[in-house]
Amino acid sequence: MSIDRRKATLFGAAAAVRILLFTSFPGLPELLTARVEISTPVTSFKRLQEGLFLYNHNVSPYDGGVYHQAPLLLPLFSLLPSSATYPAFTYLLYILVDLLSAIALINIAESGEAVSSKLFTSPRKGKRWSSFAIAAAFLFNPFTIATCIGRPTSVFTTCAILHAISKAVQGNSFTAMFALSFAAYLSMYPILLFPPLALLCYDRRKPLKNPELMYSFVIGNAVAVGGSLYSLLHMSSLITGSWEFLSSTYGVQLLLPDLTPNVGLWWYFFIEMFDSFRNFFLGVFWIHLSSYVAGLTIRLRRQPLFVLTLLLGIFAIFKPYPSISDTSLFLAMLPLYRHVFPLMRYTFLASSTILYATLLGPAFYYLWIYAGSGNANFFYAITLVWSLGLSLLTSDALFAVLRDELEVERPEMKGKEIRQI
Amino acid sequence: MPPSLPQFSAARARSYIFRLPLFTRCIILVIVLLWLVSLQSAWDVQQWGALIPKEIGLATMYRTNTFPLVHANFFHAFMNILALTPLLERFEAEFGTLTTLALFLGPLSTIPALLYTFLERLIGFNTTVLGASIWAFTLLAMEAVKTYRTNPHFTIGTTQIPTWITPLVVVLFVSFLIPNTSFLGHCCGLAFGYGWGLGYLKFLAPPEWILRWIEGKLNLLGRLPHYVSVDQKTYGRYGVLPTTAPADPTSSVLLRRNPIILKLPPYLSFLCIVIGVAWLLVLPLDNYSRRTYISENALLPAQVHTYFAGSDQNVFRGYKREVDALGERSNIEVNDKLEEFFKASGLKVARQSYEYKSAGETYAGENIYAILHAPRGDATEAIVLVGGWKNMDGELNRSGVALILTLARYFKRWSLWSKDIIFLVTADSKAGPQAWVDAYHDTHQSDKVDSLPLKSGALQGAVVIDYPFDHRFESIHIVYDGINGQLPNLDLLNTVVSISGHMGIGASLQQMWHHSDSYKDRLQTMLRGMMNQGLGHASGPHSSFIPYHVDAITLQPYGEGWQDEMAMGRVIESTFRSLNNLLEHLHQSFFFYLLMQADRFVSIGTYLPSAMLVAVNFTIMAIFLWVKSGSPIEKSSKVGSTIEGGEKQPLAIVQERNAKALVPAENLAVRERELFLPLAVVAGSQFLGVLPLYIFNHTSQAMLHPIFAAFTSINGFFPLILSALITHYFAPTAHHYTLIKTFSLLILGLFLSSLATLNFSLAFLVGLLSAPLTYVQPLPNHPIIKGILAVILSALSPTTVLVAGCWWWELSVGEVLKEAAFGWDVWGMNTQVVVWCVWWPAWLVGMMLLVGSPMEEKVGVDGDVRKAKMIMS
Repeated sequence: MSIDRRKATLFGAAAAVRILLFTSFPGLPELLTARVEISTPVTSFKRLQEGLFLYNHNVSPYDGGVYHQAPLLLPLFSLLPSSATYPAFTYLLYILVDLLSAIALINIAESGEAVSSKLFTSPRKGKRWSSFAIAAAFLFNPFTIATCIGRPTSVFTTCAILHAISKAVQGNSFTAMFALSFAAYLSMYPILLFPPLALLCYDRRKPLKNPELMYSFVIGNAVAVGGSLYSLLHMSSLITGSWEFLSSTYGVQLLLPDLTPNVGLWWYFFIEMFDSFRNFFLGVFWIHLSSYVAGLTIRLRRQPLFVLTLLLGIFAIFKPYPSISDTSLFLAMLPLYRHVFPLMRYTFLASSTILYATLLGPAFYYLWIYAGSGNANFFYAITLVWSLGLSLLTSDALFAVLRDELEVERPEMKGKEIRQI
Repeated sequence: MPPSLPQFSAARARSYIFRLPLFTRCIILVIVLLWLVSLQSAWDVQQWGALIPKEIGLATMYRTNTFPLVHANFFHAFMNILALTPLLERFEAEFGTLTTLALFLGPLSTIPALLYTFLERLIGFNTTVLGASIWAFTLLAMEAVKTYRTNPHFTIGTTQIPTWITPLVVVLFVSFLIPNTSFLGHCCGLAFGYGWGLGYLKFLAPPEWILRWIEGKLNLLGRLPHYVSVDQKTYGRYGVLPTTAPADPTSSVLLRRNPIILKLPPYLSFLCIVIGVAWLLVLPLDNYSRRTYISENALLPAQVHTYFAGSDQNVFRGYKREVDALGERSNIEVNDKLEEFFKASGLKVARQSYEYKSAGETYAGENIYAILHAPRGDATEAIVLVGGWKNMDGELNRSGVALILTLARYFKRWSLWSKDIIFLVTADSKAGPQAWVDAYHDTHQSDKVDSLPLKSGALQGAVVIDYPFDHRFESIHIVYDGINGQLPNLDLLNTVVSISGHMGIGASLQQMWHHSDSYKDRLQTMLRGMMNQGLGHASGPHSSFIPYHVDAITLQPYGEGWQDEMAMGRVIESTFRSLNNLLEHLHQSFFFYLLMQADRFVSIGTYLPSAMLVAVNFTIMAIFLWVKSGSPIEKSSKVGSTIEGGEKQPLAIVQERNAKALVPAENLAVRERELFLPLAVVAGSQFLGVLPLYIFNHTSQAMLHPIFAAFTSINGFFPLILSALITHYFAPTAHHYTLIKTFSLLILGLFLSSLATLNFSLAFLVGLLSAPLTYVQPLPNHPIIKGILAVILSALSPTTVLVAGCWWWELSVGEVLKEAAFGWDVWGMNTQVVVWCVWWPAWLVGMMLLVGSPMEEKVGVDGDVRKAKMIMS
């Protein structure tokens, strides 16, 4: 990708906004780091500091029971000067990661995969936003900015996922798989993106003389993911000296021992749960989360990029420790489908719901935690509204894309009212 | 044909049940009868009829025929009838009653049963099976094979799935989801069904000539009702019933374009405002407000005997003489003396100095406090007794401080305290308490405010004495408003009211010195309370405690009466005894309430709807305008265009199942909305709000008044300039103006409903003052009305309201702004944020809308307005 002047200006402006926020409001990074909407137990910057401190003092970072993030983040951050004394380096790192994500997003947008994939071309393909606008929507999204200022480690996952998709649309399946395994290494859940991503790679691969079969292609990619994932994990075990990190990182994601409130739906449910049902419902919740993968991949075989978008939206709602960082990733991918926006029916409703939840969430959290005049139900009610808004948005986007496909298959149905059964 | 799900209709269900053929009816009847028989306990029907693999012999062969008819319980029977009836009905209608009879009493039951028995014996199990589900699956498999012939695949994405596997999926689902179902039994049924469907088992059916012969001989068709003849297969007897789906004119599309519904929202939102206000006005009535009550049982107010009397009065007089003598001495000298007194009482003393700068002035002083360590406690909890050396009006708190000194000496003698007691004398009543509380919780800015050298446990409550005169008093005035409209727990207030009531001292609120318990007085108390809450300023030294979740109130004796300072002391003593009893932080009673008088209140559930209704009015209007902005462009000469213009409008056909309607194609179009300019305008004006917020909080006191005057005058014509600029550069159309209003109202509604949960009164006041914004729109053709409306709207601008408020309460604008800046800098008050970043931008946009002049819209091929698209959604 060549960076022309407009894009350079965009990146400069995005970086400037972030630097301005970092420097002119010195209390803001600390404030946002402490917000439950941004920092979850598995991504929090504060917990990273704790892990880093233990790591630098030659204690296992997982001993305190506070740090649940991937071990390879520790050497990365201990290379930087300490964020307590020289915070500028940390700020620059996070700004850089945001810009890298934007570059990946520009690549995805420029490929045109969203409007015209190998098996399907939308009749509305003329109406799309430029990659510049899509990158701007990502970089100036308040959620993205708040995430960057709050410095959770989920931005690395975001960046890795976007790069995996960007490499996949360029046909570099091996790089894409490596990026995916890096994302999965950091946050585990991105491994669920493997099936659509492999299909995306398959669709976009460079034409060979003797085309590969899909099954062998997918198996090859699976081996690549497995291999790179294993090497990352092995490196981690060399760094920490044991394999104990597995239970402190991925075990926490799977078994949900930390019930700190967040914007998701799990914490309240598992607070209320009787212990005897806990394992059963953990299974149910995880199966529910992963069940979308197969169904959507099969149904939307012709548009694997949309499957990825939709899955990111679903993960932002249903994963164990979601934050607004996941929402910002979904909202970054959604503008790629600008051409189906006219087919969506509840955009105003969904966006108003999300806006309401964005304002009422902190207000109710304040009433619960600080003023003491509310209780946990206040905040949980708002997370339900938030999830409702997001699920309206995802399902409406799905409806629009299916409608778009239908109009290609059955041109006579164009403009007619249809009913979903 | 795409599959369609018929809507349920009772008439169709009834006719379906009446049309059930004979054999199906018989089977249902037999199943029900056998279930009824199984209710008695003398004869075990299940044991008699079930298919038990180990018991199958020649004599018990009957079981292979009876087992589908016998069921375990009502639920089992009911579900199986439900599953079986439609399938059996189709089978019978296709093959005729006689064939069905022969098959179901013969091979259709026996062969799967024998297969099952064989398999069970082979693997060495002995699982009993019961019920008609095996038939249901057999029939389902037959149907599936039939479907497969006509419609071999269904497609999901790009994958083609053969239709014949559906019954297998159903079997798996049933065996997973329903307990105690026999997977093997169902599979045997399926196997037979597939065999039949594929034609391998057709030989089992009795030959047709025999059936015809029997039918002819017995004249079954004539004698038996609902009999299906062998000849009349496949619906022959009934024909295909006409599908009588009624036309449904209230479909979503037609509803959305319903002119009546489109006209409704403005009235609806007006109704919301009216109800919201009326709601508030009925609250003081007996039926809507409640009497207060003590929720926390541990408090036990006025249940203890108070001993503060007698010789302590002499001590008090002595201390008061000392305080009077200190009079106008400097802060340090006063504190030196006070430290002596506290030390003489045997308490630990510490001091804290602070300095704040706000609006160019410096507020500095030194607080002094003493800690009484609880003889029966572990220093984890503390109660605070506060007195400002000067009260809020700047008077010397002579009796108050003397009383604190006396009570410190008196409390020290008692051994019953289980919580530490902190006696705090602050230099003033505004900055001092804030500095002390901030430092107590380590949230102070350490370069200006000293840290506390001495601390105790978590603060459980604080009581402030404001007693600046030395004559006898009549009643106690209780001040309870905190910063930003937060309130202390109602239990604390109730405790004091109940204690003073027991001592024969009256209690009043909100400066209602003479409360006659009439509607008017109650309303006035409530409105004064709302005003204080809405302004969000500190109304006494206690206000600074409340943001830290420390319940606090100020007690001010007033009037001329016969109560002396010892009575006041006894009220404090009794209150402290009650607080001393607390087992946990005050949490039982309400944190959100409006008080009508000392013993009457309404809780949040009762009053919140009024503010919410006012906020919802904006949201309703925003949604309405959004829908409206999506409707097609209105022609300027719309009236009678179809008749006079002679130009035919394009018509579109709306099909609702069988009903078709011709509607103008325009009505169905959804217009592409142009969002960029409206979003930019609304976001821009929101950001502009930061400007006055910054200016008024960072100007020195002398400049506040002139700057405010300048800002007010600029504010008068600023919207005109802004509107002219936008018109000049962007040429917005009426469509843009509608969208600008949509977003502005949406944001206003959003902020106000969030705010209503935090500070009800402020949200209500701002909502009420900006209610006219719901109805403003550009009036390019009516300059006079526009002028009048602009004047009215200007009268409701934040600046004008501020000036009017100052005039009404006889305050100087400069003082109010100085107080506001002080609140921002010291108390962390955020009323200004709401005024300048929520209310003012909304007003600005409203004013811009009013003076705006929309361009004529072009219905062109391209240009500003893209062609309306034909999208029905």
